[in-house]
Amino acid sequence: MNLTRRNFLGMVALQSLGSAATHFAPKAKRVIFLHQSGGPAQQDLFDWKPDLVKHRGIDLPASVRMGQRITGMTSGQSTLPVAPTIFKFAQHGRSGAWVSELLPHTAKIVDDITIVKSVHTDAINHDPAITFIQTGSQQPGRPSFGSWVSYGLGSENANLPAFVVLVSQSSGLNIDQPLFSRLWSSGFLPSNYQGIKFRSAGDPVLYLSDAPGIDRETRRRMLDNLGALNKAQADEFHDPEIETRIAQYEMAYRMQTSVPELMDLSKETDETFAMYGPDVRKPGTYASHCLLARRLVERGVRFVQLYKRGWDQHNNLPRDLRLQCEAVDQPSAALVTDLKRRGLLDDTLVVWGGEFGRTVYCQGRLTESDYGRDHHPRNFAMWFAGGGVKRGTTIGETDDFSYNIAADPIHVHDIQATLLHCLGVDHKRLTYKFQGRDFRLTDVHGEVVKKMLA
Amino acid sequence: MLAIFVLLAAAPDFVKDVRPILSDRCFACHGPDDNRRMANVRLDTKEGIAQALAKIEPRVAHDKKALRMPPPGSPELTPAQIATLKNWIASGGEWRSHWSFDPPQRAVPPNVPGATPIDKFIRARLDREKLVPAPRADRATLLRRASLDLTGLPPTPAELSAYLADSSPRAYEKAIDRLLASPHYGERMALHWLDLARYADTHGYHIDSHRDMWAWRDWVIGAFNKNLPYDKFTVWQLAGDLLPNPTPEQILATGFNRNHMINYEGGAIPEEYLVEYVVDRVEATSNVWMGLTMGCARCHDHKYDPIRQRDFYRFFAFFNTVREKGLDGQKGNAEPLLRLPEPAQKARLDAVATRIAELEDWQDRANIPALQRDWEAQAKFPAAPESSPEGKLAASIRVKIGARLDTVPTTIFEEPVRVWIDGGEAIGRNRRGSYLYVARDGRVERTRKQFVTGEWMNVAVSGGALYIDGERAETQPISGVVIPAVHTRGSREDPRQFARSLTLDEIRVLARHEPARLALAVPESKRSKDQRQTLFEYFSAHAGPESVRQVHAELAALYREREDLLYEIPSAMVMGEMAIPRETKILARGDYRNGTEAVSAQTPGFLPPLPKDAPPNRLGLAQWLVSREHPLTARVAVNRFWHMLFGTGLVKTVEDFGSQGEVPVHPELLDWLAVEFMESGWDVKRIVKLMAMSDAYQRSSKATPALVERDPDNRLLVRGPRFRLPAEFVRDNALAAAGLLNAKIGGPSVAPYQPSGVWEDIAYGDTFSAQRYQQDHGDKLYRRSMYTFWKRTAPPPGLATFDAPDREKCIARRALTNTPLQALVLLNDPTYVEAARVLAANAMATPDPLQAMYRRTLARNPTPRESQLLRAQFVKQLSVYRNWKAGADELLSVGEAPVPAKIDRAALAAWTTVASTILNLDETVTKQ
Repeated sequence: MNLTRRNFLGMVALQSLGSAATHFAPKAKRVIFLHQSGGPAQQDLFDWKPDLVKHRGIDLPASVRMGQRITGMTSGQSTLPVAPTIFKFAQHGRSGAWVSELLPHTAKIVDDITIVKSVHTDAINHDPAITFIQTGSQQPGRPSFGSWVSYGLGSENANLPAFVVLVSQSSGLNIDQPLFSRLWSSGFLPSNYQGIKFRSAGDPVLYLSDAPGIDRETRRRMLDNLGALNKAQADEFHDPEIETRIAQYEMAYRMQTSVPELMDLSKETDETFAMYGPDVRKPGTYASHCLLARRLVERGVRFVQLYKRGWDQHNNLPRDLRLQCEAVDQPSAALVTDLKRRGLLDDTLVVWGGEFGRTVYCQGRLTESDYGRDHHPRNFAMWFAGGGVKRGTTIGETDDFSYNIAADPIHVHDIQATLLHCLGVDHKRLTYKFQGRDFRLTDVHGEVVKKMLA
Repeated sequence: MLAIFVLLAAAPDFVKDVRPILSDRCFACHGPDDNRRMANVRLDTKEGIAQALAKIEPRVAHDKKALRMPPPGSPELTPAQIATLKNWIASGGEWRSHWSFDPPQRAVPPNVPGATPIDKFIRARLDREKLVPAPRADRATLLRRASLDLTGLPPTPAELSAYLADSSPRAYEKAIDRLLASPHYGERMALHWLDLARYADTHGYHIDSHRDMWAWRDWVIGAFNKNLPYDKFTVWQLAGDLLPNPTPEQILATGFNRNHMINYEGGAIPEEYLVEYVVDRVEATSNVWMGLTMGCARCHDHKYDPIRQRDFYRFFAFFNTVREKGLDGQKGNAEPLLRLPEPAQKARLDAVATRIAELEDWQDRANIPALQRDWEAQAKFPAAPESSPEGKLAASIRVKIGARLDTVPTTIFEEPVRVWIDGGEAIGRNRRGSYLYVARDGRVERTRKQFVTGEWMNVAVSGGALYIDGERAETQPISGVVIPAVHTRGSREDPRQFARSLTLDEIRVLARHEPARLALAVPESKRSKDQRQTLFEYFSAHAGPESVRQVHAELAALYREREDLLYEIPSAMVMGEMAIPRETKILARGDYRNGTEAVSAQTPGFLPPLPKDAPPNRLGLAQWLVSREHPLTARVAVNRFWHMLFGTGLVKTVEDFGSQGEVPVHPELLDWLAVEFMESGWDVKRIVKLMAMSDAYQRSSKATPALVERDPDNRLLVRGPRFRLPAEFVRDNALAAAGLLNAKIGGPSVAPYQPSGVWEDIAYGDTFSAQRYQQDHGDKLYRRSMYTFWKRTAPPPGLATFDAPDREKCIARRALTNTPLQALVLLNDPTYVEAARVLAANAMATPDPLQAMYRRTLARNPTPRESQLLRAQFVKQLSVYRNWKAGADELLSVGEAPVPAKIDRAALAAWTTVASTILNLDETVTKQ
């Protein structure tokens, strides 16, 4: 099977799945992955531990840490003092989910989402951890989640990429963790499955606009001649690649219309803008990206990957976490609500979470109003909404310190298996042969988490 | 693909037909992995098959799905595969070892017509298939094909004319010889090697700041150009440092295994990354030289090839000896390093070092601390001018701005005039010097010289003039610089403001005397290191005896000179052994925390042993790889050269010669080439020339629908190769056709046009290098694409779109996609718009612009139909731009190359659209 030469951007896929679209009936047809880069603190947002106040400032008991490794940033600290959250929690919705005061809008959608408090990962630093949750491997070289999905399922819109990436910058004052193009790279899959990063300034898609001084009629004239000359070449050489190239130029021409139409928000109502909050009209913000994500999935884009940078609160956590939540809470909730009222939530999966959680112990100085938290891979919180997942549930328990999982451990590979399952794909059968081996997103691991499924 | 051959075979051939099925469908549970073998059935060895033969057919053809092999859940065998297995069993169940693990033997070329031995092997196969080879390609096509394949550049119009005018029978061979002798041949060959070597200009992990490995890259280019034999090429890269009395060149070559990614993420655990670096070396080395996927055996025994987990860690032990840190690279290259001074630099550096040692020795003997103490007890300083906190006529401050690249300007004063310091100049380097800027009445002036950052300096302004360290700093007006937003960073001390202008003497008091006076005012026990240094410097420079002052002045100049030299002298990361190597342990599940049994360096057991006299280290390993007995090295190498010229390897899976790789279509030819290569003394140019001289290479690439149906990928080589160019050559071809190409070879990487935000959207602030893209100007915009600065976490988008890999890992074979984004790049990337404009301008200087563009781009004249269509486009566009001058001006403004002054701008714009159409042709981006 010569996969690499005969396909083009999302038009022809399903090499692994044969002609059938999926392995079984899908609940979800598309994904919006709201990745919170840096690792949000689970104990300040979803995993409330009211009794920790009693341990405030006291060293984390060895019986809790159990010798687990910690990063080089806190392994040199003489103590690991417990820092309970300073934020208030309350129960919300019919489901009674506990949510922090930092997330008032998320609190209003708890009956539409599944909160998982017991996700765990293998990596303890940003680069390997974010690479792991996005590609299934801590080390580079593997295809990203979105690439696997666009390879497996293709696109429903020939005039837009199947897999779109949106990056918004930190709202806190700490420096952002970097991101890497490998997070949306196609790895060893052909590069037409890689994510296309939309930009917030200039052309949304690189090189989309015609050069200055080339009007549409000129462009059309050039393409007509180009097509005619390429056609003559095809008639002489009979190389199918030439026909493909002719088609690609026409698709590029259509993208030049479909992308601006996508980006044009003039038909959105004031009420919609209000839902997503004040940042929504500023290009490049997380709020504007949430609205754009809805517009993308409406148009059949298969996988929309957002990154919100700035969750790495090693210090000044109260200040920066508040700023991050102000930027993220309302648009995330609005996206779920907006999809729901348009009937899109039933077959769109929304995922919210970071690459790991944060430690219960304080990094740096612990004061009345200030603390920092280091990376914590052993448990963290994510939430899921839409196509195929339960609504109004909280899954997983952690110990009294939010340091170890007490019930329902769910590994990153399990999350990946479960999301693929919702898309109608058996994670063990979505494979690609590279260097002689059938690779999968979930490596040789991953179990579908039945508890999460509707 | 394999199906063609299966159907033609009378009785199944074990190697070609049977073993691939067993490997792909059975080995995972019944193969080499001792720990996962099911039912004690083993199908990868002779004994295993002998024992299991009777069981195979009943199980693969079982009526009950639940009992059928492969088991439920795995994809089923096809009826054809079951039939093949049945036939094989019926014919006796012959077994043979895996083809590539036995040494190649030179086969006698079949006795059929053929210009070269290569052609005889191919012809024999075509005769069997009853296929007739395509005729030779026309001469111009052939010259363009060979030029693109051997140099990555199209023929120049002069080369084309000379070739077409040469009617001698050796004309083609002469052209091949000329191309092989071209310095661009080395670039072409190196490009592929850079993919294999995962070469890049940044570290790859996390912050992904810069490194300098271009000296190693240039060595590769030079090695191909000098035709360094492949065995030496191998030994030097893997173990040049271990050769007796290695030359700098031999040490530089070992940069191959320092090209892997390097991490310094805060909080990361060094032991974890030490393992990753060595794993990467194992993966790259085994893949590049042996076509083996040893990485699969990191966590468990290999599922398909006889590589045990123990073999992996024994191989790992060869590379686990480098004097390196787990976390490194913040400031560029990570140790071990090779410095690469020019002879003059080296001589001067040695002289400076000798003189510094002499003078420091003098200082040590001069009893300076005692003299300084005596002075301190009664030190007097000139009076400083009186400052006033609200004063707005003069100001002074001591600042130290970090030496790292920082493109955000740093404000020094807001009053009485705005003064700031800029960022560094080159994207790849840490900052060395910076200019200071002064804003007056909205106009900006810049200092004439740069000042070293990373050191304390006094900056003062008075009477509108700028002073640095007590000297007037000359400035000159500069245009195009916007007054930046206020942004302060770096260390700051002792800011003072004054209500009157200062004299030069007063400024010198502030710059030279005041820091020492303030330091002396601090009780001795509480002085910081900086303050102690300030006092020592002051005493040595101003207050001490004349001899002390003289020596100090000379030393200061020498330190500065040494720093300048070290900054100028490039370095590369190389291999270098630890005095006591790390112990290598087998890591359970490949995890650095799970070390089990200790192992020593050894090669895998299924391959020949290390040569008797070979040392048990990297040098021995390298000698083993290039020994005549090694079954893989030569085969893998010649297959890669074949892949370069023919577009597809004789073994398509150039990266996998193991059980799961493709069985060669022409096995005897591959082996003949491998033996020829070894026996020629591993002569690369010779073997490449042999391939280029074959009839098979020279055939026309025109096909018929029937032939495409019969052999879509041209594996039987009826016709010539036709493939899209690699990303770099797509751009180089356009630059060369336009006449823009800067043919300089080697040197630091460059930063051509790139859309804004590609780096910045994902970068880590301003503290590290390679976070903010700073585009180059002038002829650096037109260097060959292999010199484009390669940031791994944000590769150059115009190249990545055409399948250039991100260089995080060793890549032996690029994808070859065909996408709408490629169309957008070729149509709209300023690189190609500018190339079209310059191509058009150059063509307009000839009598027939259209013909000139065709010849420069495609090495041929346009057909009548092409002429008619494109001339009509020109005429139409000419009328468009005659009536839309602004449009013509806009189009001509793309790119920094100048527009000829006395040119008809509407005509140039119109021809530019024609040139752009030509640069977008499928034929233009294809070698055919």
